Amino acid sequence: MRPVLKVGRATSEDLDVRSGDETGATVGQVGTGEPSAPPPARAATLDAPAPAAPTRRGALTTVLGAVAAAVGSGTAAAAATGAVAPAALPAAVAGRAERRALAQVRADTPFPTDRASALHLVQRTTWGATPQLLAEVLARGPEAWLEEQLAPGGVDDSFVEGVARRYRWYGWSIPRVRQEVPSGDWELLWDLGSLTFARYVWGRRQLHEVMADFWSNHLNVTNPSSDVWDNRHDYDTTVVRRYALGSFADMLKASARHPAMLRYLDNASSRKGQPNENYARELMELHTLGVSAGYTELDVRAAARLLTGLTVDDASGLYRYDASRHDTGAATVLGFAVPAHSASAGEGHALSLLDWLARHPTTARHLALKLCVRFVSDDPPAALVERVAEEYLRAGTDVVPALRLLFRSPEFWASAGAKTRRPLEGYVAALRLLGVGPDASGTVGLSHLSWLSREMGHQPLAWAAPNGYPDVAVAWQSASATLYRWNRVILAAGGWWPNMLTFRPLRQLLPAQLPATYGGLFDELGRSLLLRPLVGRERTALLGFCGKTESSPLRATDEWLGWRLHHLVATVLDAPAHMVR
Amino acid sequence: MTMPLHPAHPAPAGTDPCGCPGPGPSRRSVLGALGLGTLAAVAGTGTSTRVAMAAPGYTGDVLVVLSLRGGFDGLSAVAPVGDPAYAGLRPDIAVPASAALRLDATFGLHPSLKSLKPLWDAGQLGVVQAVGQASRSRSHFQAMEEMERAAPGTSLRTGWLDRTLGTRGELAPLAALQVGSPIASAGLAGPVAEVTMRTISSFVMDGPDTDAERVRWNTALRTLHGEGPTTVRAAGLAAVDAVERLRAVPASTARATYPTGELGDALCDAARLVRANAGVQVVAIDSGDWDMHAGMGRHDRGWMRDKLTELGDALAAFSRDLGSLMSGVTLVTLSEFGRRAGQNGSGGLDHGHANAVLLMGGGVVGGRVHGRWPGLGASQLDDGALAGTTDYRTVLAEVLQKRCGAGSLSGVLPGLPTASPLGVVRARS
Repeated sequence: MRPVLKVGRATSEDLDVRSGDETGATVGQVGTGEPSAPPPARAATLDAPAPAAPTRRGALTTVLGAVAAAVGSGTAAAAATGAVAPAALPAAVAGRAERRALAQVRADTPFPTDRASALHLVQRTTWGATPQLLAEVLARGPEAWLEEQLAPGGVDDSFVEGVARRYRWYGWSIPRVRQEVPSGDWELLWDLGSLTFARYVWGRRQLHEVMADFWSNHLNVTNPSSDVWDNRHDYDTTVVRRYALGSFADMLKASARHPAMLRYLDNASSRKGQPNENYARELMELHTLGVSAGYTELDVRAAARLLTGLTVDDASGLYRYDASRHDTGAATVLGFAVPAHSASAGEGHALSLLDWLARHPTTARHLALKLCVRFVSDDPPAALVERVAEEYLRAGTDVVPALRLLFRSPEFWASAGAKTRRPLEGYVAALRLLGVGPDASGTVGLSHLSWLSREMGHQPLAWAAPNGYPDVAVAWQSASATLYRWNRVILAAGGWWPNMLTFRPLRQLLPAQLPATYGGLFDELGRSLLLRPLVGRERTALLGFCGKTESSPLRATDEWLGWRLHHLVATVLDAPAHMVR
Repeated sequence: MTMPLHPAHPAPAGTDPCGCPGPGPSRRSVLGALGLGTLAAVAGTGTSTRVAMAAPGYTGDVLVVLSLRGGFDGLSAVAPVGDPAYAGLRPDIAVPASAALRLDATFGLHPSLKSLKPLWDAGQLGVVQAVGQASRSRSHFQAMEEMERAAPGTSLRTGWLDRTLGTRGELAPLAALQVGSPIASAGLAGPVAEVTMRTISSFVMDGPDTDAERVRWNTALRTLHGEGPTTVRAAGLAAVDAVERLRAVPASTARATYPTGELGDALCDAARLVRANAGVQVVAIDSGDWDMHAGMGRHDRGWMRDKLTELGDALAAFSRDLGSLMSGVTLVTLSEFGRRAGQNGSGGLDHGHANAVLLMGGGVVGGRVHGRWPGLGASQLDDGALAGTTDYRTVLAEVLQKRCGAGSLSGVLPGLPTASPLGVVRARS
């Protein structure tokens, strides 16, 4: 069943679908969550609460336990920020009747259109709000803008596509790369890092860029790494970006049959008799069920055997199913059982396993939790996670309906201020606010941007392990990442580095009619850079920085408007408020 | 017009992050130097931003914890060449008995670790074999988290290094360091504020260029970071303080040549801070890329050979660089798990369990392989892997109590098994 694509508020049809699920309709091979279909015998353990001991740190690794422990904390954090919440609801909405009531509330609640709500929406769904983008969203209407972002094909992205075309390998297939580029050369790997950086800064399909980052980390294939020199760009295009707002089952199957993933997690060299467990383990632990799902080493080994034969053709560098490598024995992975089979049927069984995993309720909760951690809070309310998971299953693993539910949820609107930007986001957001443009021609400046982010510990696509960059604040409490970010912002504000980029005069951050006082100056710089006037300690810090008071007269010839303006700009961007997502 | 003091000169593509020529981080960099420990949340961590002007009181060793990320193969590094099952389990990748640097009747060092042999002979390098942990997990991420939490069966959410430091009262700003990586390991998770840095030389602020300007910037940054999200505040204040402290550390005067790469750079910086007497108590360093599922090569060529060469050369350089100061340093290696006893079909090793721990320092009872060897016979293995006969916490406990001034460890290593110490280190005199 395809999801109903809605533009506008939820309809009665939405409610009908939900109540249909509750009467026992199923999607694919598994139920949509609650009691509809009895879970397969061995999968029963998956629905039990995670054991307390290993859950230590919550969010990303110990999925279910953390959710149980985290009910409502996001909403509490948001209350203090004064976010506009469309409706006050209990944090934990567990039963069927309550869910129906919540759906009703959603249907009756207008999508917020006030400035604060629109700003919250933009900060969460983009690589950084700017005054120009916020004005555009308010003019268009936040709901309509969000729907455009959820169907990005209609959003003109020609500017950043033009940047992409500057790379000579743009559009090259894997065999073409192997023809044109010396074997093992890292040209495309470095270039892909810079192009990805450029897309984050200048792409207009911003939610797609956010989701591309999300899935690149979820199905991480570390870039750069030598094994994928010829195919990592293709993985980005044909797996991550193609399905970033599509079906997860399709993305998962595409990743499993892409030479980048096959090489990165060694399934390419796995064979019957001597299976390599690397991919099978991460498939279950990271890509689908999650580590606390209750599977055993035997399940991992069975999955590894079932996945033998999915490999890479050495001559072309393309995916190939090699029946002679496939283990044809019977295999049971949790509740998924395959009898002994012919070698030619092996690929089909492997794909069925992937489909089964993608549609498993535990996978749904794992993905829903990660989406909520990305978009709501580091400890998202359990009830929201559950609803997003149900929507994901109801929609046959399509991510857009799940995102739409998330963005319409009271928990989302109550979460303003609850997320913290990671170092790269802080840097990218600063470049967007400063109006920095790419190189007038060529890509040298872009490659330097990527390099600068690498030194900061947060280069696009570069996380060294299969689990992808973390997205919780405590993981990034780093003195060095902070210092490097400050330094990069000074260089960008001064227009010094990377000096191949194009810079706007900083005076454009101020109105043509200059404010009369330093107090007014910091109102204006705040509006341009933090999207609100400076407040509290920010004013104290900046006035102290220039040795002025609120009422000190501002003169056009002051050094703070001249050669030291970039110091003020950088210091405003150093404020913790800039690091709130 | 002022120019930045340190205009960035990004290394061109094809240069590694420390500016050395080379193809960049190696191949799969799986579990690399970025530090995986902190992948998830620690409730309430990092809220403390206390800063003391000096480190009174602490007189124990500087503890250097080198985390070998990805699953170090202790059976390659300290190869049981005398075990009758060893060669047969690894027909293509075993260290041949003839090539091993013999340590005793059972074990030999991998030939690529030859730089460490003099330290072994001098009694400054020791090994504990068959070291395991309570967690049975063969997931990198779970095994790492459990190892660095070091509190199985409890709901503690802090790391053992943080709890160790938490018992020492007021700490100097540089007491707890993660060097070589901008991200702290999970062992440091908790209320004690650590400083993370890639390198000392890059830990400078680009804005101010005079003392007066430094005061101006520092004041503004400290004021700004008096509010906002707790993690952002803490990191900002730590950055300002650490920049000031590191400005006072004398320039590098390394007395040894470190191998090119992030590990050598990190150990070089760690030695520099020890020599400067900068108040350092704990240094955490990550070394990644040990997850060798496929194509690890042979004892005389390839991935494992290269990695062990780098490791041995870096450790030997560290010891040589510090010279007599090593009497106040203990270095210990940890890895989330060892690898399978037998090779897989890809010329590599899948995830296993018990491992070798290397110990280096003036107080180490070196020249010995400590621990009980369980054997590699089919019935002796633990689900295909080396069985653990020593809980890694008993090794840490002995180091903390004999070398680092620790008393009761009930809060630091709760539930510590009541095993008598192996005698891997001598009490500090």
